[in-house]
Amino acid sequence: MKIVLNKICKSFAGKSVLKNVCYEDDFKALAIIGPSGAGKSTLLRIIGGLLPPTSGELYLDGVKINFTEKELLSYRRTIGFVFQTKGLFEHLTALENVMLPLIHSLQLEKTEAEERAKQLFARFGLEREGYKYPHQLSGGQQQRIQIARAVAMKPKLLLLDEPTSALDPELTAEVLDMLGELQAEGLKTIIVTHEMGFAKRACEKVIFVAGGTIVESGDSAQIFTAPQTKALQAFLNKVLEWRP
Amino acid sequence: MKKFFVVLAVALMAAVLFCGCTEKKDELVVGMELAYPPFETKDEQGKPYGVSVALAEALGEYLGKPVRIENINWDGLIPSLETGRVDLVISSMTITEERAKTVDFSAPYAHAYLALLVNKNSPVEKVEDLNHPERIVAVKKGTTGHVYAQNHLQHATINALSAESACVTEVIQGKADAFIYDQLTIYRQNQANPENTRAVLIPFQESEKWGIAVKKGNKKLLEQINAFLKDFRAAGGFEKLTELFLAEEKKTFDALGFPWFFE
Amino acid sequence: MKKYTTCLKQIISVVLVVIILVGFVWISLLRINHRLDFTTLWGYRYRLWQGFKMTLIMAFASLFVSLFIGSVAAVAQKAKFLTVSYLAKFYVQVIRGTPLLVQIFFFFYIIGTAWGVDNRYVAGVLILSLFEGAYIAEIIRGGLESIDRQQFELAKAVGLTPAKTFRLVTFPLLMARILPALTGQFASIIKDSSLLSVIAIPELTQITQEISADNYRLFENYFFLGLLYFVMTFTVSLITRRLERKYKHENSSE
Repeated sequence: MKIVLNKICKSFAGKSVLKNVCYEDDFKALAIIGPSGAGKSTLLRIIGGLLPPTSGELYLDGVKINFTEKELLSYRRTIGFVFQTKGLFEHLTALENVMLPLIHSLQLEKTEAEERAKQLFARFGLEREGYKYPHQLSGGQQQRIQIARAVAMKPKLLLLDEPTSALDPELTAEVLDMLGELQAEGLKTIIVTHEMGFAKRACEKVIFVAGGTIVESGDSAQIFTAPQTKALQAFLNKVLEWRP
Repeated sequence: MKKFFVVLAVALMAAVLFCGCTEKKDELVVGMELAYPPFETKDEQGKPYGVSVALAEALGEYLGKPVRIENINWDGLIPSLETGRVDLVISSMTITEERAKTVDFSAPYAHAYLALLVNKNSPVEKVEDLNHPERIVAVKKGTTGHVYAQNHLQHATINALSAESACVTEVIQGKADAFIYDQLTIYRQNQANPENTRAVLIPFQESEKWGIAVKKGNKKLLEQINAFLKDFRAAGGFEKLTELFLAEEKKTFDALGFPWFFE
Repeated sequence: MKKYTTCLKQIISVVLVVIILVGFVWISLLRINHRLDFTTLWGYRYRLWQGFKMTLIMAFASLFVSLFIGSVAAVAQKAKFLTVSYLAKFYVQVIRGTPLLVQIFFFFYIIGTAWGVDNRYVAGVLILSLFEGAYIAEIIRGGLESIDRQQFELAKAVGLTPAKTFRLVTFPLLMARILPALTGQFASIIKDSSLLSVIAIPELTQITQEISADNYRLFENYFFLGLLYFVMTFTVSLITRRLERKYKHENSSE
């Protein structure tokens, strides 16, 4: 998938969060890394059509995304989004969470939606959680159901905002495994993450965002072994400090 | 620690309860509804004032006891007698058979007629005109006007309100055709609202007698009160009351040829 | 065996509470030498029944109208047009901050007369609804604010239109949160309707006051009046409890 970010800027109430973000590349799996508060989540939401940029342009596969409510409505239906936490409707069961967008955004028949949802659940070992409510599920299960919901809509791109940051380490693995499987099948992903191991292994392109702008970007093979900028070097050192 | 507080709380409650048992002071407690000028009302300082208040104080002097006036809602007056909260009630209360079942009345000390305060645009000329399904009558809950309406005006819509002022307002605003109350008040209200109301003062029934009420069976107090009333009347007490509180009204009543309250 | 003793303890406690309360009232009556006679009420049963029905009618009518007014006011508070939002906020503050009695007199004798609302019953329902609507507006506002903002972002992310978001996400989440409070408000409506007696609407309290003026049996009359209101509100509270239980298991205690 080809993505072009052209001078994207975003400010909230006068405070600038993203300044002149420019990037252009072809990718299958793109990781966005960087220190907290650097603007990674904001950037991801702009790409997902959830926030309009204050200025700048976004192109996906050569198509310019116009940030009008009308166009965004159909755009969002083609992009899957997975939130860090609380990404499920609290008043619906797991199955209903997956079925709702299928029925009401994609206008599928209820039976077809149910079929699709159940298949995905069966595939990823979630069959017994179907009728449970989010508060009855573990963090890992909630995240996997979010992914299932996003994937059920057969999106052209899946965006994930720190999907494992709120999880215990044991649960992180099951989420990343599911993601890996989907990526292997050809699902295009952009993932904001702190899991450097995953970023390194599963994503072939990386963007390093710090201070509201892209400091360094490139192939993940290079980025992790030979960071060019001081900022990235310092960041990686810090992150890898506690690793065995 | 917890136990201590429980004991303390119980002790406090008991103390409060016992405080309620004060010995009875030797005073005369008189109940009245201070919402009926110039008979029972309050002065600018909020102290009880009016014909009935003066009468109560004269009674107190006669019996040699200090008088305490208790301001009580109309429908609470008779229950207050029953429970002993007040010794007697002087509140321009009409002696009726119904009421006499529950309390004992003194000899009548005044008599009054019912009258109508009518909305200027209403077709009502006399009380019989009210007995019609399209007519609306305002009365004050529990008064003889209310009883009259219930007994004689079955076809009309009767709205029983708590306050005299509300009844008058309803007539002024045309929400009611007429307000049935005593002649004197109707006269005063009509004087106060000449643009919107008419007064039909001609008596339409026997006059109602006002009496002082005591708890049923309280023969001793009743005898004292009757003796007092006799004395008071002989000494010209009622003329004095008229001069003090009702001079204007007496003139009008004389001019209209209506019999006076205290005759 | 243990179950027996706890059950027994509960029964004894209930009996003790009843004895204490009834005993207190009994002693109070003895102190004022009051002879109880509830049979006097039987003669008025027709009028009491009419009053009871009228209270229910006024309460139900007010429930619907106040829900409408409350919803409008809650939404209006968030309006972008400043005048509208200020008007709504002012309404809620003032109505909640003044006694119903004052509002009844003001709206019936002044505003109502000025604008030709002469029908007492219509005016009564409107005034009561205006009063309760302000409280309902606050309940709705609180409920809306307690919904996690991300639920709305989630609705956006899965491509729901604003209309669908309201129907499928906002409304169910809101209802789950405020339904117990709303039914509690209905109990308040029932009790507050007693004040409509000041404009002579023949509901239960008005009828009881008229009967009191007739037979002077204050204790019997008002005790019975209280009992009837309690029956109505207790029924509502039973329904509330059932609704609370139903919605609790559907929502996590976050």
